Amino acid sequence: MSVVHHTKINRSRVYIFAGIMLIIMIIYTYKLFSLQIVDKLIYEKKAKEVSQRSKVIPSQRGRIYDRWFDVPLVMNVDSFAINYTSANADDENVDELISRLSKVMNLSEKDIKKRLPGNRVSSYIPVEISDGVSYETVVKIAENIDSYKGISWTSKPKRFYNYTGSISHVLGYVGNITNEELQILYNQGYTSASVLGKNGIEKQYDHILRGENGRIYNTVDARGRRMSDQGSIQPPENGYDLILTIDRHIQELAEKALGPRKGSVVVLDPATGEIVALVSYPGFNPNLFNTPGPGNFGVLSMDPDFPFLNRAIQSSYAPASTFKVLLTAAALQEEVIDDNYLVNCTGSMELGNRLFYCHKRTGHGNLNLKEALAESCNVFFGTLGVEFLGIDIIAEYAKAFGFGSLSLIDLQGEVPGNIPTPAWKNQTYNSPWTGGDTLNASIGQGFVAVTPLQLANMIAAIINDGDIYKPHILKSVINPTNGSVVETISPEILRTANLDKERYQILREYLRNVVTNGTSNVVILNDQVAIAGKTGTGEVGSKEHWHSWFASYGPWTEDNEGPKYVVITMSEASNDWDWWAPKAADIIYQGIFGHQTYEEVIEYMHKRGVWYARDIHLETDVED
Amino acid sequence: MPEIFIWRQMLKIKLTAPSIFGFDFIIFFAVEFLMVIGIFFIYSSGVNSNGVIVTNEFIKQIIWVSTGTFIMLFFAFMDYRRLRGLALPLYLLTILLMVLTVLFGQVVNGARSWLGIGSLGIQPSEISKLTTILFLSSYLNNNRNRISSLWVFMTAFIIILIPMGIVLMQPDLGTAMVFIPVFLITMFIAGGKKRYILFILFTGILTILFSILPYWEMFIASTKINSMIIFTDMRLMKILCTVTAVLIVLSVMGYILARKPYFYIMFYSFTIFGISYIFSFAARMVLKDYQVMRLIVFMDPQVDPKGAGWNIIQSLTAVGSGGAFGKGFLQGTQSHYRYLPEQSTDFIFSIISEEIGFVGNLVIICLFAIIFWRCLNIIIKSRDVFGSLIAAGMVGMIFFHFMINIGMAIGIMPITGIPLLFLSYGGSSLWTTLLGIGILLSIYHRRYKNTN
Repeated sequence: MSVVHHTKINRSRVYIFAGIMLIIMIIYTYKLFSLQIVDKLIYEKKAKEVSQRSKVIPSQRGRIYDRWFDVPLVMNVDSFAINYTSANADDENVDELISRLSKVMNLSEKDIKKRLPGNRVSSYIPVEISDGVSYETVVKIAENIDSYKGISWTSKPKRFYNYTGSISHVLGYVGNITNEELQILYNQGYTSASVLGKNGIEKQYDHILRGENGRIYNTVDARGRRMSDQGSIQPPENGYDLILTIDRHIQELAEKALGPRKGSVVVLDPATGEIVALVSYPGFNPNLFNTPGPGNFGVLSMDPDFPFLNRAIQSSYAPASTFKVLLTAAALQEEVIDDNYLVNCTGSMELGNRLFYCHKRTGHGNLNLKEALAESCNVFFGTLGVEFLGIDIIAEYAKAFGFGSLSLIDLQGEVPGNIPTPAWKNQTYNSPWTGGDTLNASIGQGFVAVTPLQLANMIAAIINDGDIYKPHILKSVINPTNGSVVETISPEILRTANLDKERYQILREYLRNVVTNGTSNVVILNDQVAIAGKTGTGEVGSKEHWHSWFASYGPWTEDNEGPKYVVITMSEASNDWDWWAPKAADIIYQGIFGHQTYEEVIEYMHKRGVWYARDIHLETDVED
Repeated sequence: MPEIFIWRQMLKIKLTAPSIFGFDFIIFFAVEFLMVIGIFFIYSSGVNSNGVIVTNEFIKQIIWVSTGTFIMLFFAFMDYRRLRGLALPLYLLTILLMVLTVLFGQVVNGARSWLGIGSLGIQPSEISKLTTILFLSSYLNNNRNRISSLWVFMTAFIIILIPMGIVLMQPDLGTAMVFIPVFLITMFIAGGKKRYILFILFTGILTILFSILPYWEMFIASTKINSMIIFTDMRLMKILCTVTAVLIVLSVMGYILARKPYFYIMFYSFTIFGISYIFSFAARMVLKDYQVMRLIVFMDPQVDPKGAGWNIIQSLTAVGSGGAFGKGFLQGTQSHYRYLPEQSTDFIFSIISEEIGFVGNLVIICLFAIIFWRCLNIIIKSRDVFGSLIAAGMVGMIFFHFMINIGMAIGIMPITGIPLLFLSYGGSSLWTTLLGIGILLSIYHRRYKNTN
């Protein structure tokens, strides 16, 4: 070992190298720290997400019954979704599979191809090809399952509406959630796959009907293959069933009594606020929304007749002469005139420099309040409104009876109507209130707008000595698993119109007098029940066309005892004029109290020779 | 006769008491400990989601670890100085084997890197790492008195370029890359001129940077960067090359005439730039699509999350979800549900991280740190330069594997399929490394001049 130098290496270089290694190892440790300690939760969630898949077990949406709780109005029917799992399929025969599916499912090949994944790696995640597939179709596929490799099906219950006439307005319909709805409802457990009520009871009580979806959790590997046969199951909670106040027989009777006329019918139990029937025409059939043809949702939503509009609560009209009931109430309570006060109707009256006509151009002659209501004399009520009450008192009484405000029925989209005041007119039209405006308001024209339901509430108040119950459609909630009653809706007084009791007795007599001696005595011909009520014929500006109203209740009795029905019928001016509202009401009373169906009522009326029934031809008649 | 001689000598050494105490137990146990951890997680990686072991890789690994330990001990007790004379023949032999492999080898994972019959085979490229270290150390040792000359530097560079080139032809980019740090570190420790070493280092880094930049602009940068055209336009490239060449010539002339140092610096930088610039073009030509994609997803895995980015994303998820103490042995979801690819080899660190967490990782890093520390200690304590340089080459190789493999698992290095030594599954690389460690043990053992 003769070499003196260079037998040892340079130490400082070793230290430099050691320093470099140390720095890199510190960086790595820091990076590991930030991954595993700082960001641990992010990656933990990610790891869970990739390896856990959950499948929804749909909850059964609650059924909806009418007050008889026997036949469901709305129920769920078995329906299937057809799924395709590419990893189970025979790759070479996909085209053949599509053509076979298109035949059996009645779908075009293009539509099926659209739902299938592209030429990707085969996956174990099923893709839905179509839903709403019938049991028969599934059976056809199941019988030849060998030629449908990769196809499977899952149960996906579909909403089915057993009754689809005017009741659809009450029931509403369901649909897939939209992005806008999801943004609002996200915190309430709805997901992008939720089906929810879009209208009517389905919407109003969606939170009761929907229940809660269950889930089945499975762990899957990188290819989406299930790792164990039994995942953990969170069972679904089925939605509660609803019992409505609606009587489907009366609903059907009222619907047919109105007939194919744009308009609405309200049948109300004044003692509780329960809605017995709520008809609006035209309507829709939610079972047909997804089928091509005139019942299709898209077609209906473009219809100029607005079939989705529930005219009983979502449209307000001039109440016309029915509003004279309100003025009569005001006049009686305010005692501005007595029974002996007479107005001489000459067929017209002068106000300022304008001439207003009564509907009877020849004039009614001398009338007191009772006779004027019976004859519906415009001159009398114009004088009463302009000279004795004034718009402020009229508005005060209108509001006391609930006009101009919501009746808080458990359906969405109700409108409040309008009761004009000078301040309102000034604000809206920027013009002063005139005597003519008061006169118009006095006879239920001009700016006054009410919904049929509000009118029903006024009649209910007259029956109840002023109490108006909150109108409602939900009667009770039932737990479907054990049939127990979860909740019962009890009557609740919405407002009270504080008139002296005897005024109501007088009002009821006056209303009876309208039917017996007044305008409607020629059409109220049923032999079952004595009724009281008021007609209304609303001007809408076109000749030969008027809104036709009839606000009534029955049975009318001297002592005002016993259960009663309020019936409001309304036929819009756009229909051919046939003064239909009182006639429809008459048919309804005949049916309700005679326990007859519409067809039986008409047959019976034919027999009795009721004049307005002569033109009604039942379908069975044609067949016979 | 010679065999008996070796045995006798071995027995003699083994029975000498001071020699036993001279044995580096620390590195020995650190290595053994790492390998045992490796066996456990190779076992874990073979367990599927139903808890059933589906491969026998861990059994093979046990065999390799135990035979490898014997090889290590054998070389530990053999005098490493014998290898000085054997270095060149061994180097030439491995080169021959590698050429044979390129011509006749079996293709595994796209590279023709296996030589053998049936399931019995070796990877000469793994062995070549060791024989190259030996020959490089031997060469530098022989020329240690003129170590700073350019001639020695160039010759040494060619010594590693030959096996590296052959590995590249297999093609196995990851393994080939290992030769560069081995060369740089050995050269650095041997006392080579820093400017030459830095020249190679800078050229390498710039080449990688220039190769990546156009892809970065294309896939990651949100705005178009016009200056990137110098890497994509052929005409511009020719002009730029000419300009650089002229500048190089001018600075050389300036240096010869004026002998001013800044001419030297100019020449130095322009050359680095020119070479990396041309190399980056060549690299982009040579790189396969999947390699380009690996570079792109390294910069942003979300460019192709289901494809090339999958490995990075899944590995990061595995590592991150492990947390401080891990999910427990055999409890990793990323690994057992097969989200992690290449679990027993390239991504062994990810499964370890997922199951034993940050604390476990610290243990692993500490064990490696101990190995590095002992290697550096051997560099310093070695009785001769040859031993120091072998230790330098070995530590360079082990550290480079450590840095690239773990860096890849935690997303700070691009994906190159090189194993994590001692932990990853694989016989050839384990045997080679253990053989190298055995030589280091021998060097340590004979660190005192008075021992035999």
